[in-house]
Amino acid sequence: MDLKERVCDELQKEVPKGASSTNFNTQHQQKWEDPSSTLDYSTRIEPPFQAFNQTSQTQSLLLCNNQIKVPMQDGSINDLLQASKIQDWDPSAMLNNLSFLEQKIHQLQDLVYLIIARKGQVLGRPDELLVQQQQLVTADLTSIIIQLISTAGSLLSSVKQTLSAATTSLGQCGEFGGVVFPSSAQRLNDGVQPQNAGGSKVSEPPNSIDITSNNGNEQNNHIVEEHELKDEEDAEEGENLLPGTYEILQLEKEEILAPHTHFCTICGKGFKRDANLRMHMRGHGDEYKTPGALAKPTKESSSEPTIIKRYSCPYAGCKRNKDHKKFQPLKTILCVKNHYKRTHCDKSYICSRCNTKKFSVIADLKTHEKHCGKDKWLCSCGTTFSRKDKLFGHITLFQGHTPAIPSDEIKVAPAGTSDGATNKVGSVNFNLSSYVSSESEVQSSSMDIKGGIDDAVGYFSPLSFDTCNFGGFHEFP
Amino acid sequence: MLLKPKMLSFQSSKNVLSLTEDLLVRIYELLAAESDRKSFRLVCREFRRIDSLTRRHLRVIRIEFLPILLGKYPRLQSLDLSACPRIDDGVVSLLLTRVGPGSNSPSLGHWAWGLKSLVLSRATGLRFSELEMLTRACPCLESVDVSYCCGFGDREAAALSSAVGLRELNMDKCLQLTDVGLAKIAVGCSKLEKLSLKWCMEITDLGIDLLCKKCVDLKYLDVSYLKVTNESLHSIASLLKLEVLGLMACPLIDDVGLQFIERGCPSLKVIDVSRCEGVSSSGLIYVVRGHRNLLELNAGYCLSELSTALLHQMKNLNHLEVIRIDGARISETSFQVISANCKSLVEIGLSKCVGVTNMGIMRLVSACINLRVLNLTCCHSITDTAISAIAYSCRSLVCLKVESCNMITEKGLCQLGSFCLLLEEIDLTDCCGVNDKGLEYLSRCSELSCLKLGLCTNISNKGLSYIGSNCLKIHELDLYRCTGIGDDGLEALSNGCKKLRKLNLSYCNAVSDRGLAYIGRLEELSDLEMRALHKITGVGLEAVAVGCKKLADLDMKHCEKVGDSGFWALAYYSKNLRQINLSYCGISDMALCMVMGNLSRLQEAKLVHLSNSTVEGVELALRACCARIKKVKLFAPLRFMLSSEILEILHARGCIIRWD
Repeated sequence: MDLKERVCDELQKEVPKGASSTNFNTQHQQKWEDPSSTLDYSTRIEPPFQAFNQTSQTQSLLLCNNQIKVPMQDGSINDLLQASKIQDWDPSAMLNNLSFLEQKIHQLQDLVYLIIARKGQVLGRPDELLVQQQQLVTADLTSIIIQLISTAGSLLSSVKQTLSAATTSLGQCGEFGGVVFPSSAQRLNDGVQPQNAGGSKVSEPPNSIDITSNNGNEQNNHIVEEHELKDEEDAEEGENLLPGTYEILQLEKEEILAPHTHFCTICGKGFKRDANLRMHMRGHGDEYKTPGALAKPTKESSSEPTIIKRYSCPYAGCKRNKDHKKFQPLKTILCVKNHYKRTHCDKSYICSRCNTKKFSVIADLKTHEKHCGKDKWLCSCGTTFSRKDKLFGHITLFQGHTPAIPSDEIKVAPAGTSDGATNKVGSVNFNLSSYVSSESEVQSSSMDIKGGIDDAVGYFSPLSFDTCNFGGFHEFP
Repeated sequence: MLLKPKMLSFQSSKNVLSLTEDLLVRIYELLAAESDRKSFRLVCREFRRIDSLTRRHLRVIRIEFLPILLGKYPRLQSLDLSACPRIDDGVVSLLLTRVGPGSNSPSLGHWAWGLKSLVLSRATGLRFSELEMLTRACPCLESVDVSYCCGFGDREAAALSSAVGLRELNMDKCLQLTDVGLAKIAVGCSKLEKLSLKWCMEITDLGIDLLCKKCVDLKYLDVSYLKVTNESLHSIASLLKLEVLGLMACPLIDDVGLQFIERGCPSLKVIDVSRCEGVSSSGLIYVVRGHRNLLELNAGYCLSELSTALLHQMKNLNHLEVIRIDGARISETSFQVISANCKSLVEIGLSKCVGVTNMGIMRLVSACINLRVLNLTCCHSITDTAISAIAYSCRSLVCLKVESCNMITEKGLCQLGSFCLLLEEIDLTDCCGVNDKGLEYLSRCSELSCLKLGLCTNISNKGLSYIGSNCLKIHELDLYRCTGIGDDGLEALSNGCKKLRKLNLSYCNAVSDRGLAYIGRLEELSDLEMRALHKITGVGLEAVAVGCKKLADLDMKHCEKVGDSGFWALAYYSKNLRQINLSYCGISDMALCMVMGNLSRLQEAKLVHLSNSTVEGVELALRACCARIKKVKLFAPLRFMLSSEILEILHARGCIIRWD
């Protein structure tokens, strides 16, 4: 908490420093989106930026008010941030960006002049064209802001740190209908301007850049946090993916639990594997027997950098859910399925041998059955161990625990109950862990900066920030 | 001291009663010997009351009297049931149910509350549930001995672990005990200070490690004969209070493990690494280097040689009192180093050491004048010169073992008899040089209590008579194969050595019924071995049975002439008999049944090659004693001839059958 606050403060201190570029803060998302819907851009162009700056500052102040006040300090974190800034800052790229921004602003200026001129001609008539133009201005402004943020972001997000946990902001993005975020880590790190300089695709950058810049902040949080969180991290997710460098997909519960994922378009039969479906398709006609039809469908666009896909669990509050503060993405669909079944589903498979252990994934049952009955090392607390040294380690660790003596012929019923207790304890533990995680989330959301981001989700209206809109508008000028 | 109460009783009763209770208690407490205390409590009712009020320790021989005895002694702190033939579940529950509310005699309830020490050694009939009841009923229990309860294992350990205040626990030869049981005890009895785990063969490093982590107050730990490795020593080294460490015959321990001991166990005083195959002198160097204040170093049969490097380190052991290096090669100069530096040595064990010479011994004793115990067993080159030097220098010598030192003659014994007047124990087994004259000199050591003259064929009745007339305190005498000894010698013995408790007459062929009649006069005799006395008959055995009321252990293998009359007498009179060896005796079925059935304390019997008895007789005898017998040795073919029922009963009751 301390560290997080410190970082928060650091970041807020950062704001005036980075005056040459734009202020960017986690709050920006909501800020720069707010004016677009409320302020009238047609009249004033420059002021929104100012207002934006101010509001962002006040907002961050507000944020600080919500939290416990921590005296400003120049700690090692600050040094770290500075150092990283100096290390990766590319002035020439920055200049490019700025000149591009200048051009863009001039364009916009022209457009607004045009609108003013036209306003004079057709007064008081709510014109369709006017609305469109307003939207266009908004879009352009947005892109300028984003450009600014990304320029500044190249300063901050260039801190190359290993990050395993994705951030909540990503989770938010996922809600916008699975927007594609290009893996822009390299670009960002190199400080290269986004490709909308050439006016190619506007659809992606606004989101992606925003998010990456956000992640710049998040990242800084994580740099500090990592020391305390290391042991919490899942070994499985040891990969060092920068948040925002991959696409997040979230399947629905029904999709996850569906027995089949591949369906025959002709007869509707379902398959678990695409290969099996292709084999099946052969029966529907000769056209499915061609080598092309039978071949494994290849990635069509080899020229584009392959987008890494990661998955989010649809269960709210789960650590694997993108909205979770310490979100850890799942690697594959199989991971999603197993995770969802194990964590959020009933354990319907019962071991026929011990009649106590339950599983929700049949493979787990099979693995257990291989070892069932071999867990002969039992602690008085009900925990079983397959190895004696593990039991003794456990007993050494816990005060008052003793090994339970296996009762062979004397008490059959007590043995059963003790086994039952074992199971209970196991499940209780499990539940506890999940409760703990959700609880901690609740606590932290009310306390730390990321909680603030979570709240910000509410301000995000998908209506005003729809990619389709942007895409449509880009065609316009 | 014995006379005091008796003299008092002779005076007017008023005077006796004028002594206040606390004074009487003080007098009572000064009585050391059990027989004296017995006399005391027989004086009068008041004295008897003092006895029952003051008595703290009770060793029960007959289980049937236990409830009454427990009611009599309310202040009991220590209860020894190891001599009882059988402590089974019934006994315990009987004792404990009387404790409960509503019992007719409330005084019975008190015994368990104050009990601190409980000896249940060899109580093989006890089950864990009863053991748990027992330990739960005694909240103040501090010391428990369940050694040699071979069937004891984890459940029994779990039962014992409910005694939270336990400080001392002896679990020697609880063969079923595993790490799990040890863990139970380690967790339950965290105040444990003394623990002996000899021969608990299932214990591994894991158990020891847990023990060392949970019972940090351990002062005494014996893991002898266990298959533990250096890992255990690593754990043990963390015990800050450990003073005594027994590692005897741990085959997997080596010098590397002793390195841990060098750096750990700061309070270590006594270490025993004897018969550890993996330990060499370099390992001992580690131990000695780390522990300058070592008092006792027992390294018998693990050193091939007392190396100079080790000797160099031993120079620093100024406090060393006991050193045993049995079986090692030792040079004369080594003795010089030891005597120059370890001046406080009290005991030195050089049994079977190679290189022990007269000169070496002379150098040793020149400075170590405080030596009290000296073991020179099988140091064949020792002569009277060395013995004289010992006798001259070590005036406080208490125990001397010179077994099979053939060159010792009466000259050496003369010196001993002149200077070592405190000598209590001497082992002259297989010293052919010992003769009657030598015994005459030796008999000047009037404190002598243990004398071993086995295989000394040159001694006769005359020599024994010197002992009998002078060494009145003798309580153990070994005359194994002293063929020169006859009835007259035993007569002299029985006249003088009234305290004799243990006597070995095996293969003293000259002894006849008359000699046994003299033996019968020894009222204290509890242990008699008289194998292959071909002259004795039932008459002699009857005399022994009638006379030696305390006889507990009788070995009469190959006494073929003893007839049924003798065995009938045995069955009738020797009620205290605990062990008997009747192998190769001509006992009949009837007599066998009588002996086995009538002797209510009998726990161990060897019944091999009984020429006059049948399978049915043995079966009947076993049935007669199956409730209390703990160990029986039978002729191997009987395994298939006895009914499976009786074998099952014996097995179920924890009786061990050895087939021969």
